[in-house]
Amino acid sequence: MKFSIQRERLVESVQDVMKAVTSRTTIPILTGIKITAAEQGVTLTGSDSDISIESFIPREEDGDEIVEVVEPGAIVLQAKYLGEIVKKLPTDYVDFEVQNRFQVIIRSGMSEFNLIGQDADEYPLLPQIEEDHVFKIPSDLLKNVIRQTVFAVSTTETRPILTGVNWKIADNELVCVATDSHRLALRKARIEGDAGQTYNIVIPGKSLNELYKTLDDTSDPVEIVITENQILFKAKNWLFFSRLLEGNYPDTSRLIPTDSKTTVVVKTKDLLHSIDRASLLAREHRNHVVRCTTIDERTLEISSISPEVGKVVEELPCESIEGEELKIAFSAKYVMEALKALEGTDIKINFTGAMRPFIIRPIGDESILQLILPVRTY
Amino acid sequence: MQPVVMRMIKNAIWKDRLAHAYLFEGMRGTGKKETALLLAKSLFCEDPAEGYIPCESCRFCRRINHGNHPDVHVIEPEGASIKKHQIKMLQEEFAKTAMESNRKVYIINHADLMTVNAANSLLKFLEEPDSHTTAILITEQVQQILPTILSRCQVVSFKPLPFEKLVEMLIDAGVNPKKAPLIAKMTNSFDEGMALNEDEWFAQAQKLVVKLYETLKKSPLEALTALQDNWFAHFSERDQHDKGLELLLLLLRDLLYIQLGKKEQVVFLLEEQRLEQLALQSSGLRLANQMASVMEAKRKLHANMNPQLLMEQLVLELQEG
Amino acid sequence: MKHMYPKNGRVILHVDMNSFYASVEMAYDPSLKGKPLAIAGNPEERRGIIVTCSYEARKYGVKTTMTVHEAKKLCPSLIIKKPNFDRYRAASLGMFEILRQFSDLVEPVSIDEGYVDITDSYELGSPLEIAQRIQKRIDRQLDLPCSIGIAPNKFLAKMASDMKKPMGITVLRKRDIPTVLWPLEIEKMYGVGEKTAQKLRKINIHTIGDLASANEIQLKGLLGINGIRLKEWANGIDHRKVDPDAVTDYKSIGNSTTLPKDLANLQELLAVLESLSETVSIRLKRKEVKAQTISVTIRYKDRTTITRSRKLINPVSGHREIFLQAKDIFLKNWSGEKVRLLGITGNDLISEEYAFKQLDLFTYEKEAEKEPLLKAVEQLKDKYGTEVIEQASRHAKVRKEKTGWTDTSFNKDFLADFTSPSEKDE
Repeated sequence: MKFSIQRERLVESVQDVMKAVTSRTTIPILTGIKITAAEQGVTLTGSDSDISIESFIPREEDGDEIVEVVEPGAIVLQAKYLGEIVKKLPTDYVDFEVQNRFQVIIRSGMSEFNLIGQDADEYPLLPQIEEDHVFKIPSDLLKNVIRQTVFAVSTTETRPILTGVNWKIADNELVCVATDSHRLALRKARIEGDAGQTYNIVIPGKSLNELYKTLDDTSDPVEIVITENQILFKAKNWLFFSRLLEGNYPDTSRLIPTDSKTTVVVKTKDLLHSIDRASLLAREHRNHVVRCTTIDERTLEISSISPEVGKVVEELPCESIEGEELKIAFSAKYVMEALKALEGTDIKINFTGAMRPFIIRPIGDESILQLILPVRTY
Repeated sequence: MQPVVMRMIKNAIWKDRLAHAYLFEGMRGTGKKETALLLAKSLFCEDPAEGYIPCESCRFCRRINHGNHPDVHVIEPEGASIKKHQIKMLQEEFAKTAMESNRKVYIINHADLMTVNAANSLLKFLEEPDSHTTAILITEQVQQILPTILSRCQVVSFKPLPFEKLVEMLIDAGVNPKKAPLIAKMTNSFDEGMALNEDEWFAQAQKLVVKLYETLKKSPLEALTALQDNWFAHFSERDQHDKGLELLLLLLRDLLYIQLGKKEQVVFLLEEQRLEQLALQSSGLRLANQMASVMEAKRKLHANMNPQLLMEQLVLELQEG
Repeated sequence: MKHMYPKNGRVILHVDMNSFYASVEMAYDPSLKGKPLAIAGNPEERRGIIVTCSYEARKYGVKTTMTVHEAKKLCPSLIIKKPNFDRYRAASLGMFEILRQFSDLVEPVSIDEGYVDITDSYELGSPLEIAQRIQKRIDRQLDLPCSIGIAPNKFLAKMASDMKKPMGITVLRKRDIPTVLWPLEIEKMYGVGEKTAQKLRKINIHTIGDLASANEIQLKGLLGINGIRLKEWANGIDHRKVDPDAVTDYKSIGNSTTLPKDLANLQELLAVLESLSETVSIRLKRKEVKAQTISVTIRYKDRTTITRSRKLINPVSGHREIFLQAKDIFLKNWSGEKVRLLGITGNDLISEEYAFKQLDLFTYEKEAEKEPLLKAVEQLKDKYGTEVIEQASRHAKVRKEKTGWTDTSFNKDFLADFTSPSEKDE
């Protein structure tokens, strides 16, 4: 293997794939970054086995030559050394050369590093993209879909399947559901692709958080391919792979109430700020309980008591309140997180009783729903 | 090395009847871990001979040998036990799909060193079998494995090396032919045998055992003093006492063989002449009784009886018997 | 000084900080002194409510729980500040620190008031001298005003501290009761809330004196056991001890036990945990609190000790719930080595009335079935007051547990013995 590359681009790519590399791995080869040089360019791969990131540096871009591959080949280099070395090299171009099987020479100007690499054949095999089963979604929409669901996944291991987000694809519609069993977030989005393809998978929340950081805010399409054991996201110059969670996601559709006993329409910000104020006296924000009572058809009372500190009561004017009188208590954290995930200035809340889940939706937007279980007080 | 086990693996793979979980059980040095890795390689190898013998050269076999296959997990105890974070890692792995295909293999060495909690979390996985996952538990102490685990695994017993075969291997490796049989009686592992051959403590222990028996012949009081003066200085740890009692048992057994005229069975070859002398002074019945006493002492030792008390009792019993 | 103290009986102080939050703000910013000041949840918002206000503001009729808007109307020059709880907590700690210089028997009641039993503090001066020194010290060191009541029991001390504000010291003796206490309106009595007062007035009890001579059977019918207690108080009888462990001061309730022999048998160890869970549960219930964190201490044969804790979603006090958590923590952290001592502690305590249970998506339906019943209870409470309906279990006789092992109450010294750092579970 022998190639010459623009240092700037190499540094960028190394940083991208480093996101997937961890020193805490039981698989020795994964402490390294795989470098593959081929005719079309150079590919870097980093992985912690849960997620894998491939970054591609093309031979040329807009007529600018970025890489010159003299001899194709592949090698695995220790990630921590590679990362440090490329950052500090003195010139704009870097030469890589493999000699005597795993001996790697990195040259830049007058400096030369000799590193011992590892056999690229020892590196895990990643799934290949099959072009005929590809879905497409704009990058910024995908980002939103992730943001609006992933916060609701469970962080405890008691039910491992709930640590992921359930993705269902049918008739070109993507439905994402996340729940930690105390609240649930649901988001639907249109995606482009083969309408006949249906999938029902669970993607680890951790992977989606990483993917979120990698995605940019453009409307450029991201391609999605789902294989038997991995999901792949492909953008212009990178590929993001994630393993899936094993097992069946619980059917939550029957748990989402369709009726409403009390319906409240209120400004998102008003409610958010009111609950925020009610949590002001909370000793710690974890688990802080806020009570909510209907006063008349335009007013809610939001209150909270903190032992030893005091209590807060305030009246919150609403657009409308219809249906039965209601007295309910809930976790301030869950409602605030749900409100922050929603877009739109007005929301509608459907309550079905003090001990039953309630649903928050933006007015006139059926693509998103946040469900919250109340708190029973004594 | 383990023909029965190899036949079992061949049949399982050929007939596609791989169990969901195996428990490889047998003495130290019987090749359990090697066989577990072999089975893993059989399952992943690109081109296994006869459909089940791994090629050892494809990138799958090589990665398994180097610990680099992302879907083959080998768990070894860290220190005295299998640690919490290892089990957590394992549980997280159970929850996820494999990385490369849909096949996963878990090998847990010294599975008896799992805490009850670790074993229980494993149980959850064994209860929800997934056809593409194979777990191989390895243990030298099958009686220490929880019955709930045991009942969910296909138990594969690894037979120890035949005595003659081990003696031959030790002699081939340069062990004095006069020492090899006794060593082969003390362990079934070639590696451990080689270590005993070099062990000064063990050489001294043999001499002390013969000396104790000689003293016993003279007077019990003297034997008790000898215990205090020499024995307890040399045998302090419980497993040292265990080795001492085992040597004493082998000595009595040798004496019995000499009386029966089966000298070829004798293992204390270095002391053969002294033993022949001693054999003349005892009776078969007496030797049998003494052996029974030593075996009883061994049992008490394992039941945590104070070794000093136990040895004093034994010396008195041997005198009477 | 011993002659200034009663021969049998006690001397109790009740120390009550005057408009605490506002006073703390003034101590931090002396330019606020002498001005009408209020602390409100959110000063920019008209609908924010007043949490507390200075005496100057009170003169204008400003009261707590008023909205900022209403208060401003009464007193246009009112200065409104946001609460700084860190400051209040620091001031509170300083105040109790001073109280503890005079007696070990200090019982914090809330962030700004507490009882001190000075019966055995006669070497420090007469009760009045001690009260004066406390008041001076709090004023000089913290720049904060307080009122102090001196009396033979907690109830009378509490009533006394209320009589002169700010910066008052009031002695209330038993013989003063008919002249000082009895003429007071019933609402002025500690322990009598708005609803209780309404009920009492209905049976023609209008003053504390009326209550002192009221018919016990009638009272019991009206207010339950609480009625009898109130009558005793009205007569100046109150046997409650000053308990340093009471209310807010205890951060945790825990028990540990040294095993009769070092154990490694799981069944036996779990049995010990179960018994400890029961003891901790009884103590939590007795204090009417629930734990939001459970920790387990394991000391091994070689004396290495680990403490591992877990924050819970729902506060617990039930024996079963505590045991399940403790068992799980234990199993996750036990090395399998022989154990010499086991302990369970409930931390992050929360008063039962503020406890809650977060419902679960997959099981809420079971809980929701109880909704009609709970609604009925709610209605009854509104009608007859909270004391009427309590779970029968609270009155059930607390079972004495019967282990032959030495139980030691966890205290700070005990925890300080532990050399290994405690770490969070999960």
